[in-house]
Amino acid sequence: MIGFILADLRRFAAGALAVIALIGLSVALSVAVTLQERAVRQGSARAADRFDLLVGAAGSETQLALSVVFLQPAPLPLMPGAVFAKLAADPRVAWAAPVGFGDSSLGHPIVGTTTALVEALSPRLAEGALFARLGEAVVGADVPLSVGAEIKPLHGAPGSASETHTAIAYTVTGRMSPSGTAWDRAILVPIRAVWALHGLERPGITLEEGYGRRDGGGGAGFPARLREPLAATVAEQRRQLHRHGPIDRDAALDERFDAQTPPVPAVVVKPRNVADAYRLRREYRSETTLAVFPAEVLTRLYRTLGDGRRILLGFAMATQGLVLAAILLVAIIHIGSRRRQIAALRAIGAPLRAVIAIIWGEMFLLFLAGLGLGIGLGIAIARLVSGHLAAATGIAMELGWAGEDARLLLGFLGLAALLSLIPALAVLRDSPAAGLRA
Amino acid sequence: MPALEIEGLEVRFPGLDAAALSIARLHLPKGASLAVTGGSGSGKSTLVNVLAGLAPITRGRLSWGGTDLARLSALQRDRFRARSIGLVLQEFHLFPGLSAFDNVVLPIRLSRRLSGEEAERARSLLDIARIARPRQAVETMSRGEMQRVAVARALLGRPQIVLADEPTASLDRSAGRDVAQMLLGLAEECGATLIVVTHDAALAERLGRQIRLDAGRVLADPVQDRAA
Repeated sequence: MIGFILADLRRFAAGALAVIALIGLSVALSVAVTLQERAVRQGSARAADRFDLLVGAAGSETQLALSVVFLQPAPLPLMPGAVFAKLAADPRVAWAAPVGFGDSSLGHPIVGTTTALVEALSPRLAEGALFARLGEAVVGADVPLSVGAEIKPLHGAPGSASETHTAIAYTVTGRMSPSGTAWDRAILVPIRAVWALHGLERPGITLEEGYGRRDGGGGAGFPARLREPLAATVAEQRRQLHRHGPIDRDAALDERFDAQTPPVPAVVVKPRNVADAYRLRREYRSETTLAVFPAEVLTRLYRTLGDGRRILLGFAMATQGLVLAAILLVAIIHIGSRRRQIAALRAIGAPLRAVIAIIWGEMFLLFLAGLGLGIGLGIAIARLVSGHLAAATGIAMELGWAGEDARLLLGFLGLAALLSLIPALAVLRDSPAAGLRA
Repeated sequence: MPALEIEGLEVRFPGLDAAALSIARLHLPKGASLAVTGGSGSGKSTLVNVLAGLAPITRGRLSWGGTDLARLSALQRDRFRARSIGLVLQEFHLFPGLSAFDNVVLPIRLSRRLSGEEAERARSLLDIARIARPRQAVETMSRGEMQRVAVARALLGRPQIVLADEPTASLDRSAGRDVAQMLLGLAEECGATLIVVTHDAALAERLGRQIRLDAGRVLADPVQDRAA
């Protein structure tokens, strides 16, 4: 039986391959959409894991979460440093660490922070030691710099960096273990170095010279009240920025912060427990500050993403429906052209069940081959997209299967089995004598 | 006991006034052989179709050893044919892509596992058919060889009835002679009742009895004439 089916398929090899390719492509579309959406969702959920609570200046919750979790370069409004100092001293807070953006090196964002965040991101360094001086840096797992290398910071985010800071060069002292998040691509330096570099720790310098300024003009994303004390023109600020002399890179690390602390765009907070987390979030949701659970913000985003997936999957399913209809049509025409062969099988004494099994088996085999091709192709596409996304975002995306996939697969197989029966049953209408004359 | 018994048989096609086939009475004893001749459109093919159970019977009785095909469903006729009838058709209806051997055993393989004895018989039938390489793909063979493979296939199950529809019509004379020789010899060996529809006079003469059809009616039948 199988021998007959295979011999028959070989005779119609070109058509069979076309049908397999058609089924394969439509299945690949669904597989890729399903796997990719799941990989993005799980990958970024893992990335958000590390950040329980974020506090920043009043503004967009989504932007705050995206900037910190994915290190997405976008201007964040600045929050007075006193808020950070107060958080750091709060008994309900296990640790709080500022994050300051603004510079980059070789396409890697440089993030000013404290050792608390480095320890949270990588409880054990893969290599070397934490930064202990102003001019030292710890790099993420994916940064291609070895311990001892020098980093010359460029002002501006990766890709839009404008000028090299000459006041400081960092020395790499350690490397974090891989986390599968965007932070694997980051270069972490003491926050005070960033402040100093941007003139924020020298008296008389306005906030506008701070990090987060990417447009060269400054101030676009800054709350008005922070801009108000601004007296100098942009040109004046520029001069000031570049006038300050070299920073003492050997100065010892100082991680005590008080009310005079310079402003920061965001603070990562690790509350002692869940109740404290909710209390802190309530407290810091105010006129001037914003507190968010990044996981919650991302969940909201995934809902949008999920809708996108449903739409794509809907298209994929509709495509499959069309493909199935086309295949059925082809099958019925094909069977029509094979009436003679089928009648001959019956004439020489092949039982009807064998005839039906042959036609059903041929169709089902094509479906199976298409399904196999589609799954393989879908995985390949998802891998490719994941690879590109991971390279672009630094977020590791692992493709994985879930229980619902099995249900989908079984559903497809069931449908294929049923549809394959239609051309098989169409044969029954014919008397063999009529078929032989055809 | 496959003696053929036909009574008041009528086959009509929708939209045609005249019956395509109308035979008042025809009897053929078990193991006998019959040649059916006639021009095209005389109803020969219709006769073969109803004899083989390939087409439904409109009216009357067509009984093979007591089994009236007129009373069987299409599915039951398929089963009866598979069990009792070896069929040889003008267009051999072999299946390309399969070897000569695989074609011969295909009907059995499609219904059950092929036994060693059946495989042995298939080989000996192919030997009789003078097929030198049973594993050769059937579409690469000559027409004469193809029809001999088809005869081997029809005779594999030792059928009690052998029906042939113009078995030599698409062959040249010498190939036709070979096929006729093989068909007659094997049918006799099985003790099968043999009916051959042919316009090949040489073949018709070798069969025990001849009838001639015209416009769906039996025109000449020496036996009936004698009985009358």
